[in-house]
Amino acid sequence: MDAAVTTLKFESKAVIPTDPRTKLFLTVTVSTIMITGGTGGFMNLVRPCLMACPIVFLLLSRKWVAAARFAVTYAILFALELTVLPLLTGTWNFILGAAVGIYTHMLPGFIMGYYLVSTTTVSEFVAAMERMHVPEKIVIPVSVVFRFFPTVKEEYAAIRDAMKMRGITTLRSPMKMLEYRVVPLMMSIAKIGEELSAAALTRGLGAPQKRTNICKIGFGPLDIFFFLLAIPCWVGFFIC
Amino acid sequence: MIELRNINFRYAGGTDAGGLVNIDLIIPDGQVILLCGQSGCGKTTLTRLVNGLIPNYYEGELSGEVLLDGKNISRLPLYETAKYVGSVFQNPRTQFFTVDSTSELAFGCENQGLPEEEIIQRVKSTAEQFDMDNLLGNNIFSLSGGEKQKIACASVSASNPPIIVLDEPSSNLDMSATKDLRRMIQIWKQQGKTVIIAEHRLYYLKELIDRVVYLKDGRIEKDYLALDALKLSVTQQAEMGLRPFDLGAFPVTAHPVASSGSIECENFRFAYTKQRDALDIDSLSLPQAGVIAVIGHNGAGKSTLARCLCGLEKHCKGIVKVDGKPYNRKQRLSLCYMVMQDVNHQLFTESTEEEMFISMAEPAPDKADAVLDRLDLLQFKERHPMALSGGQKQRVAIATALVSERKILVLDEPTSGLDLQHMKEVADELVTIQKMGKTSLVITHDYELIVSCCTHVLHLEHGMVQEQYALDAAGLQRLQNFFIESR
Repeated sequence: MDAAVTTLKFESKAVIPTDPRTKLFLTVTVSTIMITGGTGGFMNLVRPCLMACPIVFLLLSRKWVAAARFAVTYAILFALELTVLPLLTGTWNFILGAAVGIYTHMLPGFIMGYYLVSTTTVSEFVAAMERMHVPEKIVIPVSVVFRFFPTVKEEYAAIRDAMKMRGITTLRSPMKMLEYRVVPLMMSIAKIGEELSAAALTRGLGAPQKRTNICKIGFGPLDIFFFLLAIPCWVGFFIC
Repeated sequence: MIELRNINFRYAGGTDAGGLVNIDLIIPDGQVILLCGQSGCGKTTLTRLVNGLIPNYYEGELSGEVLLDGKNISRLPLYETAKYVGSVFQNPRTQFFTVDSTSELAFGCENQGLPEEEIIQRVKSTAEQFDMDNLLGNNIFSLSGGEKQKIACASVSASNPPIIVLDEPSSNLDMSATKDLRRMIQIWKQQGKTVIIAEHRLYYLKELIDRVVYLKDGRIEKDYLALDALKLSVTQQAEMGLRPFDLGAFPVTAHPVASSGSIECENFRFAYTKQRDALDIDSLSLPQAGVIAVIGHNGAGKSTLARCLCGLEKHCKGIVKVDGKPYNRKQRLSLCYMVMQDVNHQLFTESTEEEMFISMAEPAPDKADAVLDRLDLLQFKERHPMALSGGQKQRVAIATALVSERKILVLDEPTSGLDLQHMKEVADELVTIQKMGKTSLVITHDYELIVSCCTHVLHLEHGMVQEQYALDAAGLQRLQNFFIESR
């Protein structure tokens, strides 16, 4: 039977062969430790590593543009913290300090999430959740959201083009512009969602018996390696 | 056997459009049946009754029974109906649940909980049967419209239901993709499946159908054997609001071009980094004040040309000269205007009138009214654009282009999924625009539209101009060679 499986071709988005569950675990690791973890001591070592980790993953997956973009964002944040922040006093110091602080804490987790979504296919993701015995009531909506990302991107691009042709630019009135962008987007997303659900239902989604999943996922040596790497981070998280 | 007994249906909260009145219909096993009629006649509603979406998904008042081999479909849960009835929809973008073509083929079988080996076997044999091994393992978003529809048909076929329902499946397809669709329906027919097709474009179904049901205002007006339906003359069909079974017999309306000026496009080159089609045109001369049909197969570069012309592609360095004046990319953003296939993307405001005003440098109510009047929109001035019908929205989009003094209009498949009447309305609009001295380019796969209003044809293939001709007697012959012989 294994021979039969290998001859079926699936789309593969991942360059590094890791299980979706590993990616999910790493996303949780990075965001939890970066947002709620302590500072000082051993964590001074863990934090920079966790910040670099998502960028390294993007680079290994040959997502050059995204990696460069996030690296530049990091650079800007640090530059602000080192150069502008010491010059400010009072409220402004507080505002900028808070903004930079929030971004540096949230961004790594956000990038890991981006990495997870952009390198996992819907079927892999569904298979992973089924393996973790997540109930179907959660699997279906979450996978629909997963399925929606590329669609929203396409719709948004079309609306942006339409605005460009109308000569409606952000300069005129920012609030109006936001409205012009969001309203048509919501309309088309609602319509797409409706058609998508109808199509999925006519194909038997939501039947009470257990679903089969022909998508193959599983842990490999690389997954174990990443899990081992995550252990000291969690140890540091609980101790510090 | 499918039996519809004394069906009456009205959509919840809506008008009578799409409702059904006193429908009695028996469809024996293995019949290929065409449901036709004007938009809103209820043919889509009828397909939804068969696949169970009514009343289980779309709500409304339903009376009567839909029986499938004696079982009442309306009372079965959808996942149960899914085992007997497979559905293919109009919009290839929104009928996929997974994003990977292989998983999509397996999706229906997976939901039924079939054993893994059997699913793999079915996916393979289906792919072989439909000759689409090359499409497996692809991201569906990277495929063309025709390929997407092929996946949609194949994934229905893989779960092997005895009945297949298609709702306007050819709306977004070019000629060769329509030909593929015909071949797939042919296979189902040979397998003895019952096939129910609701459709506006009829020519490709001519040799497949056994029976034609003509609906009007929610009633079954005529029920023909295919042989009798094919005997209807084009005039009779036109009176019924149907597109022709025989494209060649469709009446041709000639529209001479008054002006002799031309629009020069130079150095139109563009390559996408991803799989979409490239464009490589050295120079191109378009007749001013013409209605130019842009034809060619999927991937020929039609949309890319349109995007470059409208200044939407930053990396296209092409120059357009109108009356000797050159326009670069940025200037073209306000020289040209594209009416998109999904016109919902380009209407932003809360009233039709406001929509006109944001397109003008200075709001000028008189001018806006004049344009709206010309396009029969004056009565909808205060209405929210999203509350208008599809055709009216399209006209609002055209009106915004006219009030902002655009010289060139590009329409991207304005008639996909339209019935004869609405197609003719679009043709009339194009003639109106032409009379105002504007040049329009119409990207289309719709032969009937081209012969109803176009003056010239621009045929692209592989990103280059294959041929370009005026639509006179000789030109018509060439056009027919492309559309009718290539079937």
